[in-house]
Amino acid sequence: MIILVKSKLFSYGRVLVSLAILVVFGFLKIPFESQTEQKLKDKGFRDWVPNMSAREQLTQASFIGAIGGFRSLVASIYDLRAHEAFRDKDWGSVERFRKVTTSLQPRFAKHWDLAAWDMAWNAYAYYRSKSEFSDDDLELWRIEKMIMPSYLEKGLSFAKEGAKWTPESYRLPMVIGDIYAQKYNNPKLASEWYFKSSQAKDAPSYIYRAYATQLAKCVGMEEEAYKVVSNLYNGGKVRTLTLRRDMERLEAYFVNKLVQSNSINELKEMVKKENSNYIIYDAIATHYLGEENNISLAVNAYRELVKNPKAPDFYRRKFALLIARDPANEERAYGLLKNMYLSTPQIFRRVDLIELKKIESNLNIPLNEKLIKSDASR
Amino acid sequence: MSKDLPTAVQIKNLTKTFPVPFKKEKVVAVDNLSLSVMPGEVYGLIGPNGSGKSTTMKVLLGLISATSGSSTVFGMSSTETASRGSVGFLPENPYFYKYLTGAETIAFYGKLCGLKRKVIKERTSELLNLVELEGARDRRLAGYSKGMLQRIGLAQALVGRPKLVVLDEPTAGVDPAGSRKIRDLIMQLKDQGITVILSSHLLEQVQEVCDRVGIIFEGKLVREGSLKTLIEIEDQTEIVLENAGSDLLKKITDLINQENGVNLIRSGRPRTTLETLFLKETGGESKDVRNES
Amino acid sequence: MTVENNEPIYNELNSKFKLFSPSRVMAIAMNTFTQLVRMKVFYFLLIFSVLIIGANVLFLNFTFEQELKILQDVSFGAMTLFASIFSIVGTALLIPKDIEDRTLYSILTKPVPRFEYLIGKLLGILFLVAVSLVLMSILFFAVLFFRQHGILAEEINQMRGQPTAEQISSLKENIFAQGLRLELINGVVAVFLKAAVAAAIALVVSTFASSTLFTIIVSLVIYFIGHAQSMALDYYFPEGDMHGAFQRFIAGIVAIIFPNLQIFNVVDGIVSGQSVPMSLMFRLTGLTGFYLFIYSFVSWVLFAKKEL
Ligand SMILES: Nc1ncnc2c1ncn2[C@@H]1O[C@H](COP(=O)(O)OP(=O)(O)OP(=O)(O)O)[C@@H](O)[C@H]1O
Ligand SMILES: [Mg+2]
Repeated sequence: MIILVKSKLFSYGRVLVSLAILVVFGFLKIPFESQTEQKLKDKGFRDWVPNMSAREQLTQASFIGAIGGFRSLVASIYDLRAHEAFRDKDWGSVERFRKVTTSLQPRFAKHWDLAAWDMAWNAYAYYRSKSEFSDDDLELWRIEKMIMPSYLEKGLSFAKEGAKWTPESYRLPMVIGDIYAQKYNNPKLASEWYFKSSQAKDAPSYIYRAYATQLAKCVGMEEEAYKVVSNLYNGGKVRTLTLRRDMERLEAYFVNKLVQSNSINELKEMVKKENSNYIIYDAIATHYLGEENNISLAVNAYRELVKNPKAPDFYRRKFALLIARDPANEERAYGLLKNMYLSTPQIFRRVDLIELKKIESNLNIPLNEKLIKSDASR
Repeated sequence: MSKDLPTAVQIKNLTKTFPVPFKKEKVVAVDNLSLSVMPGEVYGLIGPNGSGKSTTMKVLLGLISATSGSSTVFGMSSTETASRGSVGFLPENPYFYKYLTGAETIAFYGKLCGLKRKVIKERTSELLNLVELEGARDRRLAGYSKGMLQRIGLAQALVGRPKLVVLDEPTAGVDPAGSRKIRDLIMQLKDQGITVILSSHLLEQVQEVCDRVGIIFEGKLVREGSLKTLIEIEDQTEIVLENAGSDLLKKITDLINQENGVNLIRSGRPRTTLETLFLKETGGESKDVRNES
Repeated sequence: MTVENNEPIYNELNSKFKLFSPSRVMAIAMNTFTQLVRMKVFYFLLIFSVLIIGANVLFLNFTFEQELKILQDVSFGAMTLFASIFSIVGTALLIPKDIEDRTLYSILTKPVPRFEYLIGKLLGILFLVAVSLVLMSILFFAVLFFRQHGILAEEINQMRGQPTAEQISSLKENIFAQGLRLELINGVVAVFLKAAVAAAIALVVSTFASSTLFTIIVSLVIYFIGHAQSMALDYYFPEGDMHGAFQRFIAGIVAIIFPNLQIFNVVDGIVSGQSVPMSLMFRLTGLTGFYLFIYSFVSWVLFAKKEL
């Protein structure tokens, strides 16, 4: 009773004054507040709009939480739910929850990354393995022609949308590159996205190498690819196996081109002018091996080639294998190859190992001394 | 009384009404009340429950504002915070922060009075000694008994060395020995020249310590004066004789009988108390009881 | 009869009395702080620790980005929750309690202006919130620090072969970019600022409400409206869309009277790696100061002549 009485006991005049103060200062604060709001929008702190579709996607509590300053936490909770749905192989829910996480926090690249991964890899792989067990032709057709491509597209569209939201990050262009490279077998598009990704400030160096790899696969772009690959090969700190193989493959391509479009005399002319261009020696050697089958002339050309310090180390292997073609020199060549194999095994490709194995059996190398013990598997 | 100190308390035509929710009429808690207290005086405000004692004190201390009329403390309006600088107040049924210890409570109020840290330390021990709570100094107030709370309240009221002490029912709920001590304390304050206003139901106590008493009923000050004059029965005259013989008494009685309108009511030993007076002035019932019936 | 003398003793009283005394305000603030501390509110730190350790366990099998993110989400979420609860419930609990228990009588009958009491209470609550946030931050940052180093070690362990120095440093950069960073402090500050505004709201409410429950409910409603208002504006009035005058009017009134608390929500962005420019932090701080001032003033207007 007394409490009720007390609450009635302040004058209404003061309430009016208070309201007046609030209104007057309310007018003053509004421009400042909306400016601040605008600045936050510009800085990407207001990406999520609680519209009707957002309301439909979220539970009531999550929606209120997202409004109340727990947007990131709610996104994490949906991340967990997506993970659970993934374990249950409930791909529809996975997609739904991933849409929620990405729309709640679109600048967090990992959300998009996971969304793309769940679609283009996890769901895709799930249906592929399902198709392998399917006897029903119609079902098989539906899975292979409709479901699997649709998940690839979903993954790709998540990744592309994410790339728009996170322009500074290398991550989503890389994911797009991955999808084109690994799922669509489209080295052209893959190389474009990898390149985009590699230009981001935070990009790890392997992305540029992935770009080079994809570029090297593009038919008709060998010139461009060779520029990138040889730069990486000569200037980079890391020479990965892929890079070595690409380098060798591209150089072989140019050698073939030289051989096809030039006569031996033309090549010899060239070598006089461009002494340092070791590829021409390879072209000459290839010419001798091809039409005339003259190993010793080819060896001579290679001898010149390996003198060039710029020539990649795989030419030493090629040289030694060439020498080994002459049975008289096979033993000497084996010695060279053995040393090479022990010091720089990375210059040996799978085909070279088969060759090496052949040489070993020709020379009757006892088993315990053999470099290649089993089938040329590494 | 010294002329140079202003009147300690001056209440003029104070009226305080409280609105009743959902009703038009209002509760009149204090009705056109005037009183003044001189410096150094001990003034007792007595009246039944709901008569407006606490309300008057609250206006005096600025806790509520007067509907009309004014009140000043040492010449300064009660509406000014500065007027509280010379006042110490003990509310009825005082309640303090129960998580503080006795010493912390005094120190807290000392700080509010603007005392310096060093002064607070001294003052705390002094006051705890005065109210005999030295032993409970470091105990939290949650564990204090009612009497202890009343005493810590008293100490708290005195921390700023006030010139005026306002005590709302200082002995309510305190046992006889305790209220004895409180009365002694009030006498001590009086000796120090501190002005005291207190309200009480315990009439003997008021009788003992107050220089002047005001009786308040239904918000009105119905009687006021020094104890002596109040206890006098105005239309009666008491002749107290010593060693008077029956002859003399008979003569007097005859004389009285001759006079028109004069009656001898009784003879014998004179005796009245404040209590009879109190009951007479208030009709013998408390307001709250009447309101209920 | 005695002679009445109405000469005030102004000289003496006024010389002692200061219109505003920081030491009195501090006394009330510290008293409020002590009160809350002795009410054992700091037990919440135990809950907080359990939460952030739990968050670690929950995301143990996830990628490091997810793990670091959930740790930050849970920490910031708990910080926001605790700070807001302390602000609203603390204010709602203490001021109406002072009135109900009549503790206020003994305070206001000391030479304490009523606005000092209000400011003291507010500062006491803010101090408590600040201390709790500092303690939570220390815990949070420590866990984050240990986790990011733990994660780095685990990731290196999982790498095939001998990772190169370049790989390690890029991995480290990647992990630490989402780990302990200065930007997090801005997040904590923003959480504090929002809680401060919430406390000021509860202060206003508690000066006209008479019960704790009422204060809490009304403050929470305002707190929620404060969050929803700007979003509601976007929601009901998407850009370029014309709407009824009445809806606009209502939305305008809401925007005028209620604070826009949404602008303090920068934590979501900070967790996802964005950074708040310093100028924006100054803006938020200024705005909070403005709200504290206005709301203290309004609560004083309501409280100055309140009948106790
Ligand atoms: N805040 C209030 N709202 C409404 N009525 C009130 C309020 N405070 C006091 N009253 C009423 O005013 C009257 C005077 O109350 P007050 O407390 O002054 O009496 P009192 O003389 O102190 O009584 P007691 O001896 O019981 O303490 C009572 O009728 C009471 O009901
Ligand atoms: Mg009373």
